[in-house]
Amino acid sequence: MTESLKLTVDHAGGIAVLYTEGYINNEGGEQIARAAYRLIEDDQRTLLLNLQGTKIVNSIGISILIEIIEKMIEIDGRLAFCCLTPTIEKTFHIMGLAQYAGIYPDQETAVRELNAGRPA
Amino acid sequence: MSTATAVAEPAAAAWEELARLAGRESGERAYLARLLDHWRSARGAAGAAFYACRDGACRRELVAGALSTPGEPRFPEAVEGEPPEGFTALRLPEALVLTPAGGFAADAAGAAEPLALLLAAAARCLALERRLKEQHFQVNYRGVELEALYDVGLAVASTLDLDELSEEVLVRAVSLLDARRGALYLREGDEYRLDGTFGGNAADAFPADLPALESCLEGAGACPVELLPGARHLLLVPIESDRERRGVLVVADKESRHGIGPFDADDRRTLGLFANQAAIAIENARLHRQALEKERLEREMELAAEIQRQILPDELPEVDGWDLIGWNRPARQVGGDYYDLVRLGDRARIGFAIGDVTGKGMGAALLVSTLHSSLTLLRDRGELSPELVARLNRHVCESSLANKFITLVVGELDPSSGWLTYINAGHNPGFLLRAAGGAVERLDSTGLPLGLMAAGAWQARGVELAAGDLVCLYTDGITECASPADEELGEERLIALLETHRAEPLSEVVAAIDRATLEHAAGLPQSDDQTVVLLRRAA
Repeated sequence: MTESLKLTVDHAGGIAVLYTEGYINNEGGEQIARAAYRLIEDDQRTLLLNLQGTKIVNSIGISILIEIIEKMIEIDGRLAFCCLTPTIEKTFHIMGLAQYAGIYPDQETAVRELNAGRPA
Repeated sequence: MSTATAVAEPAAAAWEELARLAGRESGERAYLARLLDHWRSARGAAGAAFYACRDGACRRELVAGALSTPGEPRFPEAVEGEPPEGFTALRLPEALVLTPAGGFAADAAGAAEPLALLLAAAARCLALERRLKEQHFQVNYRGVELEALYDVGLAVASTLDLDELSEEVLVRAVSLLDARRGALYLREGDEYRLDGTFGGNAADAFPADLPALESCLEGAGACPVELLPGARHLLLVPIESDRERRGVLVVADKESRHGIGPFDADDRRTLGLFANQAAIAIENARLHRQALEKERLEREMELAAEIQRQILPDELPEVDGWDLIGWNRPARQVGGDYYDLVRLGDRARIGFAIGDVTGKGMGAALLVSTLHSSLTLLRDRGELSPELVARLNRHVCESSLANKFITLVVGELDPSSGWLTYINAGHNPGFLLRAAGGAVERLDSTGLPLGLMAAGAWQARGVELAAGDLVCLYTDGITECASPADEELGEERLIALLETHRAEPLSEVVAAIDRATLEHAAGLPQSDDQTVVLLRRAA
């Protein structure tokens, strides 16, 4: 079973996509936060977290994801998630992440919807 | 030492803006940011930073103006204890505001200013908001815990794949408890065997009576950390169903934002509840796996039985002036006995064989199959001879396991002359009952069983059968058939039966032997395969 988080960053349709593989816990969450804040400093205002390779997230990881969402709101940016397992998606809904971040079934839909939502 | 200077108060428009921001829903941070900027501006500083503090540690939350300017230190991300050199600090409830030192108002003077009071109030609001958020988070996370328990409950009815279920249980336990690692052990006999692990290596197994296990499970003593090498804090709970312990669920090293620590009583209760739910699901999946395995074995046995049925002759050669019959009843679905009665290639001679492979079941049946195919091939190449049996022996030695061997009588009958040739490789002696009377003649062993050793010698012997003479070949399942008093049927009873029924149709003779074994066993399950071959020259 995949354990410590592997994180890669790429771009799709003009959106920065962070691909995770493994456990989003304290260490994994901090790794995502560092990458997200670097992208924000590089003037990225829309971030997509593709969680296809992640089966497990704990409460510390969730609290860090919430901080990233708050940061994105603060700078009028947007954060979205895609490719979640049903368990993680349910957890995100219960924890309120879904109220402030889009959740999409796949990356293609996410990129299309995020691009469509941008001001003309 | 810093120098106090006059502080410029915000203009009326700025106060109005602050009032507007304060009244906006969810505008606390924007309000604070604006206040901070006024604070920076009032001091003529290039930047000011707001830090949220807890337990003596302050983390940078907001920066107004420049994060750093040439010649001045950059605002640190975190401050612990005293403010760093080069900054003027304004201490607020659970907060800290830093501005670059030099030429500005001192702390005490600054704190009295209206802006400082507003900053203090905003900091207080922010701290309360943060606490509210944390409580909200905890309440929501309780929802996640309940949902996890509910989901595992659902899995009782929906998931019967044990591997899938074990992984699901382990992953959920680790995430639910904020653990860094975990392992699931299932009971097998007198030990627990590792079924799955997360986050690192775990011991493959540990004995059920491992010292300290019980006290650890009860939360009353130290846990065996050697189960998860490198882990520092373990929490173990039992997985029990029907009052039996089916396994142990282990999580290790509870995470926080500051590192790892031990689990508390609430964690034990949560994991215990979770394990109770998981136990039912795991037990169902385990029983389902056993049922599937049994079903698979039964299918394989049925297939093997079908193959063996095809090996045994389904019709016997009809030969003028002779009665021939073969009969077999395996002790299990497939057996280790074998017989054959067949016309040989020249169509004149009749080949016969009876054999017994050590053991029963699938392994014996496979060796029976090897024996049959080898014997058929060798017979097609020539007449019965000690060399043929020696080659058969070598083949059996190469094909079978060390502890398997075969006893076999193989022979040929010339129907026209009544001459019967046989080689007995360690099998029970056959019986020849002469029509003319006299003592029963025994067709004794003429060599070793097949498969015992690659080298061996066998003798071929012959007897001439006159009208009415009866030959009986059998396996030890007949003579060693035991009664409830553990008395064997024996050779004498079999001979007596043969003498009584010798003139009857051979099917009646076989039926008499069948009845005799069943009556002798008196309802005991058949313990060995039973086979009989009879050859009789017509009177």
